[in-house]
Amino acid sequence: MSFLTLAYFGFFPVAAVGYFFLPARGKNIWLLGCSWFFYLCAGAEYVPFLILTTLLTYLVGLRLAGRGGRGTLTAALAVFVAALGVFKYLGFGMSLVKDALALVGLDWSARVPKLLLPAGISFYFFTAMGYLIDVYRGRQEAERSFTRCALLLAFFPALLSGPIGRGRDLLPQFAQSHPFDYVALREGFVRFLWGACKKLLLADRLAVMVNTVFAGPEKFGAAQVVLAACAFSIQIYCDFSAYTDMALGSARAMGFTLAENFRTPYFARSIADFWRRWHMSLSTWFRDYLYIPLGGSRKGRGRTYLNLLIVFAVSGLWHGAAASFVVWGLLNGLYQVAGAVTKPGRTKVRRVLRLSEDTKLSALWQMGCVFVLSTVAWVFFQAGSVGGALAVFRNMVKPVLWDVGGLAAMGLDRKEAAVAGVALLALLGVDVWSLSERPCKRVATLPRAARWAVCLMLLLAAAVFGSYGTGYDAQSFIYFRF
Amino acid sequence: MERQPRVSRHEWAWCVAFVAAAALLLGVATNILRPAREAFGSTWNAYLAEPRDTVDVLFLGSSYAYCDWNPGAMYDESGLTGYVMAGGEQTVGVTYYYLKEALKTQSPKVVVLEGSSLFFDRYESFTQINVGYMPWGLNRVGAILEYAEPEKREGLFVDLIFYHDRWKELTRGDVQQAIPIRQRDHLKGHTAMDGVYDGVAGGGPYLSEMRQSEEIYQQNLEDFARLGALCQEEGIDLIVAIAPTYSQYTPEVYQRLERDVRERGATRLVNWADSFEEIGLDPSRHLYDGGHLNQEGAKVFSGYTGDYLLSLGYRPQPQTEENAAAWQATAEYWRS
Repeated sequence: MSFLTLAYFGFFPVAAVGYFFLPARGKNIWLLGCSWFFYLCAGAEYVPFLILTTLLTYLVGLRLAGRGGRGTLTAALAVFVAALGVFKYLGFGMSLVKDALALVGLDWSARVPKLLLPAGISFYFFTAMGYLIDVYRGRQEAERSFTRCALLLAFFPALLSGPIGRGRDLLPQFAQSHPFDYVALREGFVRFLWGACKKLLLADRLAVMVNTVFAGPEKFGAAQVVLAACAFSIQIYCDFSAYTDMALGSARAMGFTLAENFRTPYFARSIADFWRRWHMSLSTWFRDYLYIPLGGSRKGRGRTYLNLLIVFAVSGLWHGAAASFVVWGLLNGLYQVAGAVTKPGRTKVRRVLRLSEDTKLSALWQMGCVFVLSTVAWVFFQAGSVGGALAVFRNMVKPVLWDVGGLAAMGLDRKEAAVAGVALLALLGVDVWSLSERPCKRVATLPRAARWAVCLMLLLAAAVFGSYGTGYDAQSFIYFRF
Repeated sequence: MERQPRVSRHEWAWCVAFVAAAALLLGVATNILRPAREAFGSTWNAYLAEPRDTVDVLFLGSSYAYCDWNPGAMYDESGLTGYVMAGGEQTVGVTYYYLKEALKTQSPKVVVLEGSSLFFDRYESFTQINVGYMPWGLNRVGAILEYAEPEKREGLFVDLIFYHDRWKELTRGDVQQAIPIRQRDHLKGHTAMDGVYDGVAGGGPYLSEMRQSEEIYQQNLEDFARLGALCQEEGIDLIVAIAPTYSQYTPEVYQRLERDVRERGATRLVNWADSFEEIGLDPSRHLYDGGHLNQEGAKVFSGYTGDYLLSLGYRPQPQTEENAAAWQATAEYWRS
């Protein structure tokens, strides 16, 4: 069940009203029932995976709390990693083996079994692993209530595409009873609406252009290919942050607070800063459970760089079982290594030129660089293969700048482009606004007339100008693939 | 046990008021964006503008019904008032819900169902139009859930899904129809086709066997049985008619159909598929295409149908002066 479906619009009010009206002891059971039903709608065949994961997490958590045991934790993590490996990476792994054998002249062509990939598996596995590691480390008490432990993994707003939950943030919230809070409901509603606008007005509209150009970059001029690559940078931001907004908005309306996942990433002034602002729940997960255990920055410069590359290669793999995702991850790691290596030199140059790092121009230049570098990396993400990405790059430097078909040939006519332009300006405005306060909270506390006007305007904009329904290539959320 | 904090009634009321305001806004947007429908099938707004319980005969079915029957011409010939509530390639199941909805404001003595829809597939091409323009209510919901393609159901519940992208081509006329006005018209559900079929010289009617599977035919008969039961419940006679057409089935198919529909509540089946001469139709002048009649043909056939119904004993009900004058105006409109 996606957030932007009639089914969800019917499901959510029932789930929320039921939650508010049930007595405290029934609230969590109701919420868990709703969450499992939500997952059931994604595919009945996935439900056993979620329930088994929950059982394993709950029992191992209790065992870790009772007797500790590195072996227990290692075994549990091995199960999770192995399961991810089988369901998500078996085909990719076998293709790597095949390619490696081909290099030494051996021909091996085993049939890859078609295994289903449960929706959201990467998200709830990571939540489970993080929780167990925290329990083992003594940073988190093992949850005695099965219902609360199950909710940690299955709370429906965050189940399919995160944010990846942390026990210390969520479990105390499930231990509380959340009464109806009118202000929270309004804030959640505004946030959901804003997410819907980002998804329908921008992400899915730009997707038409991006998919058209990436499917055949040779048919377009160099500037068009560059434009499509830039459009993808905006599309993926709008798509994923829209999902996050809707997830956080749904949770907020019921009185829960999920972790923020985005903090205006394209306003970052370095790639390292970008990754502190992009998919924050995943970045911090990798920091806490992979980068720091690998030694972090404590074992010398060389090892720090190696750790960075390992973390980003794994992050790439987490996003997709293909070499292009690994290249995307490694490229982001390399950017950071290069940034760290060249930092003293860049500081020197700046000093010689008497350029302050705090000027607006300087900040804009750095943001521009981050956007360009991340866009180059996103090409690997979107192209589907390394060869496809290289074809996109080749077509960015050809002599023909603009093909005669223009925007229409790229899948957007003038009116569509105008809507995308206006929406982009609105996005920019809200992102700038969000640097000083929380726009959704601010709107939710405006006087009624102003609040209603904003909400009805967003609703109407999404419903009328949104890219959905017949005649459009409505995109599913990009992060559902992971 | 923990006590539930009291939720202010005031807050709930504002929530409800906001939902109502949003629904109203989206409703207006839908009315603007959804193209107006004034021909090629049922025009519910005009139908609902007819004075209550003034229609003697209701014609149902597919395009054969709305092209071939002109209630104005029938009234002119017989004095019987009628209305066509049909849709392009409309399946029997959808027609069942059409009848249920139509009976909310009219109580005809007889329903005439054009019978070709019994040979349709489960889903045909125009569910979006046929169901999407029905008035909101349980009958529309029933038609959506039971007889619309699963992939079309969301759009049939929320019209904006189908029509929102018309924002690029909106005209002033679209905006003016934001608040729909119920107004009677002279069409009475009929669509007048201009043109003459030029294939008559090439030969006579073409006969075919049933093309859909036995399973689908049986499902159509089940839907027809619901229609028959509804008519019986309401004390309405149900006549199945095959309109004059060059697109005919073999006599064996019609014989089987007659047996099947009579077993399921039809008063009779009248097969006019090949009765051009008897009706007074000239295929070289009165066919629009191989299947449907043009507007001149429809006038002839409708007059004939009126006489036929009179011969069965159906009589025009008394009308108010105002309504009789309105029907006279309709008859004159078609005469001129």
